[in-house]
Amino acid sequence: MDVAAMDAILAKFPTIRGNLIGILHEMQSHFNYLPEEDLRYLSKKTQIPITQIYSIANFYNRFSLKPKGKNTVCVCLGTACHVKGAERVMDEIKAQLKVDVGESTDDMQFSLEEVRCIGACSLAPAVVVNEETYGQVAPKQIHGILQKFKK
Amino acid sequence: MPTMINLTINGEKIAAPEGTSVLQAARQAGIFIPTLCDYEALEPEGTCRLCIVELSGSIRPCIRVSCIQEVKEGLVVETETERIIKNRRLILELLLGRSPYCRELLDLAGKCGVMTSRFLTGEDDDCIRCGRCVRVCRDKIGAYALCWVNRGYNRKVATDFERLSEYCIGCGSCAQVCPTGAIKMEDRGNQRRIYTWGQVVARFELEKCEKCGRYFAPRKYIDWMRRKAFKPKGIELIDLICPECLRKTERPAPAKVPFGNGAFPAW
Repeated sequence: MDVAAMDAILAKFPTIRGNLIGILHEMQSHFNYLPEEDLRYLSKKTQIPITQIYSIANFYNRFSLKPKGKNTVCVCLGTACHVKGAERVMDEIKAQLKVDVGESTDDMQFSLEEVRCIGACSLAPAVVVNEETYGQVAPKQIHGILQKFKK
Repeated sequence: MPTMINLTINGEKIAAPEGTSVLQAARQAGIFIPTLCDYEALEPEGTCRLCIVELSGSIRPCIRVSCIQEVKEGLVVETETERIIKNRRLILELLLGRSPYCRELLDLAGKCGVMTSRFLTGEDDDCIRCGRCVRVCRDKIGAYALCWVNRGYNRKVATDFERLSEYCIGCGSCAQVCPTGAIKMEDRGNQRRIYTWGQVVARFELEKCEKCGRYFAPRKYIDWMRRKAFKPKGIELIDLICPECLRKTERPAPAKVPFGNGAFPAW
């Protein structure tokens, strides 16, 4: 457990009340996931019951309780993307990364996630890697996109 | 004397105190509305959706959940219209989809004329996600041992990180308020176990009563009751005595504390 990092995060918030989600966001971006021990430490420090923190961490898609890969690949499976063949794009990514939805690659480079509509239906089928959006993705483009983020 | 609000339920003119729910008003008038998540000691949350009623009169005609709908002047409530019966049957079928063997649900289904469910999932889970156990643990006991996890279809009641809870005090109120018996508490010898569908919430060793020698409550629960329920009232309990023996002793029995203060009839 990283007490120093946790204290630094907590110091950013003047009050705890109403800031729990903000704190969890900071933790998520610092650790790349929410480690159990740090959540327990947070609960102890803030006097918020661990069950409530766990509930919130579980509810939102942004928070992950399992270690996440360095890059997050989100494949849109909304209606428009689905019609335009997002399923095939998804299968291609699954095959190339050798992971299923919600999992991370063994080298912790990529996490694969599915989303329902990112509001970019005109670009269907769309794939978002980290903050970058790729539109009209064909399965054969996948390799190039993933290579860009691989280190 | 609270202000009385006049409303009509099923054609009957009813006056209910301000702030009560339509469900409570109907109950006081002896009108039956089926519900599973409503519990008089808990804040209503409107989770089971069975208590739907049709509203009109002073508000736009609509279907609402009566347990979280406050009474309003001039409200016209219908509890047994064709539309309500149809929707209630649908809700029951949806609930039965996951809990096809739940006795309480089957009873209600019989009352409402539901024969089978079109939504059977093959699961057998008596929990209907009403949240009574979460509410009682959080609002009344204050132990915060149970919480909701996940969302949507995967929503369920669990402990933190879905392991044995270190916050559970073993009071068993969750088992007591559960409408379907999905959470159970079991005392066997000197062991108490609280368990749900597939997860053991907590295990405790029970303490022996000093008088009759019966195992009656976990140490954690006794300490909790001393601290939360008896101490604020100036009552100091030193001996480990079970509720039955306590009643027989000569000392003045502890004043009856309302349910809401975390004291249960068992103590």
